[in-house]
Amino acid sequence: MSSEPSIFFSDPNERQGSFLRRTLVVGGLTALGVMGLGLRLGQLQVVQAREFATLAAENQFNFRLVPPPRGLIKDRNGVVIAGNRPSFRVLVVRDETKDLDGTLDLLGRLLPDTLERRRGIIRDVNAAPRFTPVPVKSDLTWDEFARVNLYANELPGVMADMHEARFYPHGGAFAHVVGYVAKPNARDVEAYREAGEEVPTLLFNPSFRIGRQGIERSLEDRLRGEPGGNRVEVDARGRVVGEDAENSRPPVPGEEVVLTLDADIQNKALEVFGEEAGSCVVMDVRNGDVLCMVSAPSFDPNLFVSGVPTSVYRAWADYERRPLTDKAINGVFAPGSTFKPVTGLAALVRGANPDRRITCTGGFYLGRRFACHATHGSQDMRDAIKNSCNVYFMQLAVEMGPDAIAEVARTMGFGQTFDLGIGNQNPGLVPDTGWRRRNPVRGDGKWYPGETPSYAIGQGALTVNALQLAVYTSRLANGRKAIQPRLIKSIGGREQPPAGDVRDLPYDPALLAILREGMNRVTDVGGTGFRNSQLGLGAVRMAGKTGTAQVRNYGTGSRKSNVWSQKDHNLFIAYAPIDEPRYAVSVIVQHGGMGGGTAGAPRAREVMKVALLKDPDIRRRIEQSGFADTEDPGSHEANALGAAGPQGAPAPATEEAPPAAGAQPASTSEAPQ
Amino acid sequence: MTASALTRPGERDRLSVKVREIDWTLVVLLSVVAGVGVAMLYSIAGGEWQPWAADQLVRYSAVLVMALVLALVHPKWWFRAAYPMYGVLLVLVLMIEFTPLGYVAGGARNWLNLGFIRIQPAEFMKLGLVLALARWYHNHTAQEARLSWKLLIPAAMIGLPFLLVAKQPDLGSAMIIGLTGAAVMFVAGLSWKIIVPTGVLAAVGTPLFVIFGMHEYQRNRVLTFLDPTKDPSGTGYNIIQSKIALGSGGFLGRGYGLGSQSQLEFLPERQTDFIFSTVAEEFGFVGSFSLLICYAAIILIGLRIASLSHSHFGRIAASGMVAFFALFVLINGAMVMGLAPVVGVPMPLLSYGGSSMMTIMFGFGLVLSTRVHRYSELPKGHGLF
Repeated sequence: MSSEPSIFFSDPNERQGSFLRRTLVVGGLTALGVMGLGLRLGQLQVVQAREFATLAAENQFNFRLVPPPRGLIKDRNGVVIAGNRPSFRVLVVRDETKDLDGTLDLLGRLLPDTLERRRGIIRDVNAAPRFTPVPVKSDLTWDEFARVNLYANELPGVMADMHEARFYPHGGAFAHVVGYVAKPNARDVEAYREAGEEVPTLLFNPSFRIGRQGIERSLEDRLRGEPGGNRVEVDARGRVVGEDAENSRPPVPGEEVVLTLDADIQNKALEVFGEEAGSCVVMDVRNGDVLCMVSAPSFDPNLFVSGVPTSVYRAWADYERRPLTDKAINGVFAPGSTFKPVTGLAALVRGANPDRRITCTGGFYLGRRFACHATHGSQDMRDAIKNSCNVYFMQLAVEMGPDAIAEVARTMGFGQTFDLGIGNQNPGLVPDTGWRRRNPVRGDGKWYPGETPSYAIGQGALTVNALQLAVYTSRLANGRKAIQPRLIKSIGGREQPPAGDVRDLPYDPALLAILREGMNRVTDVGGTGFRNSQLGLGAVRMAGKTGTAQVRNYGTGSRKSNVWSQKDHNLFIAYAPIDEPRYAVSVIVQHGGMGGGTAGAPRAREVMKVALLKDPDIRRRIEQSGFADTEDPGSHEANALGAAGPQGAPAPATEEAPPAAGAQPASTSEAPQ
Repeated sequence: MTASALTRPGERDRLSVKVREIDWTLVVLLSVVAGVGVAMLYSIAGGEWQPWAADQLVRYSAVLVMALVLALVHPKWWFRAAYPMYGVLLVLVLMIEFTPLGYVAGGARNWLNLGFIRIQPAEFMKLGLVLALARWYHNHTAQEARLSWKLLIPAAMIGLPFLLVAKQPDLGSAMIIGLTGAAVMFVAGLSWKIIVPTGVLAAVGTPLFVIFGMHEYQRNRVLTFLDPTKDPSGTGYNIIQSKIALGSGGFLGRGYGLGSQSQLEFLPERQTDFIFSTVAEEFGFVGSFSLLICYAAIILIGLRIASLSHSHFGRIAASGMVAFFALFVLINGAMVMGLAPVVGVPMPLLSYGGSSMMTIMFGFGLVLSTRVHRYSELPKGHGLF
């Protein structure tokens, strides 16, 4: 440069001068460029360093959600009703498979049944977020599990692991009351959004199940628990390269729920229904604990855990006996004659004399004839309950009107839902004149006198469910307290008090005792429930009341039908022991056929026996008193029959159905006043 | 004893003098950069010499020796070899396109399999182009270099390989070829009357080319550069991850071998195009800025060597080489920092890869040779063609 000799007029030097100027420009530009890069580095590495450090940590560390074990549900004795069992499953991670089709082909060779569900699997896998494992098959056998693990190297993106699946060891016995869990769906996610809450990430975990019915649903928040997190170091492909135990936290298991139910009674109750439809509720009359709440037929809730095959679900939904409906609290039926004690109580409360005798001539007349199922002759209230005489109670009802009956019916537990801790209760209907005004039949909203006789015997608009019947029986049997049912015994070890404050019934216990006397006679010799209500436990006896609810107008035809849906509902309520009541049972056999004594009573008896025999006090009593000093029911019956003969009750009144129209002797007497 | 214009005749041709005249500062700087590269390759392999570090070290050592040997070769030989070399390389590039010897890797047909060796002729083409242009300008006057119809010849010399390589399509290499050629024409004295309109044309034409002339994947790269968050798991992933790597390095870095972005493979192409991000992550602003300073020093030393040459061929060739190197540095730097679209341009000497390193070091052999022989004049018109 300056040290070089310069000759300005020659071309080479003009070239050199221009080159030097241009090189200076290039050097300047380069310096500028490098400075620009340096500034950018400063911006990224000094100014925004913290922000990017966070992003890098998010890349590097992942919280792997650890689903919490769902809280156990146990019965009152600690028997597990809903538990968790280990299950082997196979999962596929789409982004780790090189070729999903090829992988599924290989997997199909190991697990042939995945081939059939292939389209569904591909849909699920493609719908899942990046790097989220999608279960393709659960409940592998050990052999299958071992096989998949053996070929793991040839199956990138496929893994087999063990998780906890909900398990209902008693199958269908608790299906309605405990409910079941199932895979969360879009509506569950939507529900959170609508409530304005953040959707928990747990919902998207492949092994998470959400409560769908009964206790599983109503106590979802308590049973679910808190998911834990495993802080793991991952590489770009999402593979775990290390664990950060310090910053991981274990899941908090869901709380344990103990119910007042007793698994033995519950299982027995479902068993005695056989293929019949209906429901059975057992309560402790002293404290309201619900010992049994069964709806039959039932279904296997375990199928919902892994997903019910559509064909099975359709079969359940289409079956006319409605296995999916909870008949214990959601199915309502006319109570039939089991309602008669209510009518009796209503009359007693209004000052009626229980010793008043009313003559049954086989029918009651009020505009038209209301048939009785027999001609009972003259009888007092106790015998009217024993014989389930329609005429007697129709007479009382007509005298006091529907509102008096409705008031007592409500006090005894009808027409309402209870704070059981599960929803889906149908309160049924207790009609009165006010209700009729709101729901007029003929426009004027008047309660027609002709409706009252039906009301007296538990027919007409009146509907109740099995739980209400059990509450009503408990209150009758308790004689003093307005017992409230309790289903949840404790949650997470904290005892749950019975719902609502237990007040005394607003009635004189002596009046209830009169009704109990009547019910005691129902199961005694000559009563409508005698034949099928003998416990065979010596001095420990059961009292009850039969009921038959007609489901259609027979017209002039026979009430007998071989078509299931045309048969009468068959009900029975009972309590035991007679002298010191402890347990109340209500049984509804949907379309059970003829007379409450035939279908309801034997079922109530079997269930009651289990309840009684599980009670140590009762057991001791049976063992101590023995069977020797009890009378032979057969001889008792023979004596009683002899005595009853002259009173004009010839037929053994095991049925309360009115005789067929042709057999009905023409009656000339007016309805007794 | 340093050589000067007044050194006795013959003295400069002595081997010992020549070796002394090699710019050892430059050699050390180049080796430092290459050494950092080897260290990073060792780090990202998880502290293993395999699969990259050992390879790279051996390669660098080999090409460094070659570069030092080339530094002793008199520029006249470079001068004579310029056109034949350019011709042979052009044939090789054509062979990729028109014979089955070319094969596809990474979306572009830019490799040539000669049986005994696989090369990327486009890499060497840059060197050949610089030499050929230097020879052409050496033989022409300032006036011709500034503004004349003869300039169509160097333009064609640049345009031919540019189009062929762009067609492969190896946009990064084509861009480097074009820009290197442009830089050579610029330093050779191209008139502003051409520079300004061409610049304007490029400014207008580039967006049009992006929209109509590009392959899908290339357009995606450009579009994602404009908004990397649009496709964070696809093409924008590279840019986002690279910025995270840079930023998380902070001022002092996360420590050697401790960069989570590179160690856990979040950073794509971390051993090649994005190796600078690895340096920045593990050594922080201090390390990466120092590295940039090294690069800047290499470039400025190179330009000074070019300006010291007594022959126009040496000036043009050396400055072309340095411009070529500077373009690599600036484009790769801008790319990893999210200032430019992701184009396949490696960071010279730092990135893993043989062809590019060989080209660069041959080029610096030329630069060193220009420095060693800076007093030698070259007559016009000599050559094999």
